[in-house]
Amino acid sequence: MLSRVALRSAATRQSTALVARGSASASGTRDEVNFPRPVRGEPGKVRLGFVPEEWFQFFHSKTGVTGPYTFGVGLATYLCSKEIYVMEHEYYTGLSLLLMVAFAAKKLGPNIAAWLDKEVDAIEKDWNQSRTDTIKGLEDAVEAEKTAQWRAQGQELLIQAKKENVLLQLEAAYRERLMQTYSEVKRRLDYQLEKSNLERRLAQRQMVDWIVTNVTKAITPDQEKATLDRCIADLSALAARK
Amino acid sequence: MGFGDYPKEYNPSVHGPYDPARFYGKPDTPFGQVKISELGSWFARRNKSPQALAGVFSRAWWRWQHKYVQPKKVGIAPFFQLLAGSMTFFYVINYGKMKHHRNYKYH
Repeated sequence: MLSRVALRSAATRQSTALVARGSASASGTRDEVNFPRPVRGEPGKVRLGFVPEEWFQFFHSKTGVTGPYTFGVGLATYLCSKEIYVMEHEYYTGLSLLLMVAFAAKKLGPNIAAWLDKEVDAIEKDWNQSRTDTIKGLEDAVEAEKTAQWRAQGQELLIQAKKENVLLQLEAAYRERLMQTYSEVKRRLDYQLEKSNLERRLAQRQMVDWIVTNVTKAITPDQEKATLDRCIADLSALAARK
Repeated sequence: MGFGDYPKEYNPSVHGPYDPARFYGKPDTPFGQVKISELGSWFARRNKSPQALAGVFSRAWWRWQHKYVQPKKVGIAPFFQLLAGSMTFFYVINYGKMKHHRNYKYH
């Protein structure tokens, strides 16, 4: 019970805090010109391991290149000469330590720097990995989708070709049947023609036979004789005319 | 303005992400361009409250950080700077004791 009350009060407190934070950024438009987003730059240049380049640039216009070094040596000479800088026992310890550090920095520095740069790159790559992977995955998905659409278009072409094929087959079947009908009809008509021709021929022959038989039966010997005579007379008449 | 708060002048909707190395108040002439005759009035215009002083040091610290420590590929320079600075600082605070180690009486 108590814990629930505590939870509820905590929730209300949080919500008020959020409201307060929200109201802080209520007015005004973003000024990108005077307040650009900070960028992570290159490290500042230094000389002698730690003195900023700007210090030397500050001297350069007034004293030339050797000015800052002269100033440094002069200042050191002054400090040592007046024993403002006291060379007690620790000074020599520091000198040897400085020598060792400088030697180590010169000798081991480049290798360590290379290794550290590699590590930095590896860490950055590691942190970016999931992002780049996601982007690459999405790009691959888009690419796959485009390929799928391209394939779908191919399917449409294929379907169209198949439809045309079916139409061609239908056309062929139609023409084949038309041809079949034509030939069947022709065959029947030819049959009819043949039949009627045959019938007429038979009837003609029958009629001729019948007429010839009847005519030969009707010819009497007198008639035959008369005709023969007549023929001979005609022949002789013809012969006489020649 | 309590501990951990942004400066009063900082407005997220105008200034964007907070840059701890940046002064968000009304800009004045940079110190490097102030003429010697104007130095008095320049200092008179400054806010000399403890919070403002702390802000100065904080900004200086973050400027140093952004320039020498935070870039992606830094050298050994910031460590040497810290070393030199701390050596100077500790020499100064121990100067009263160092003085007794002088080797010469007259300079």
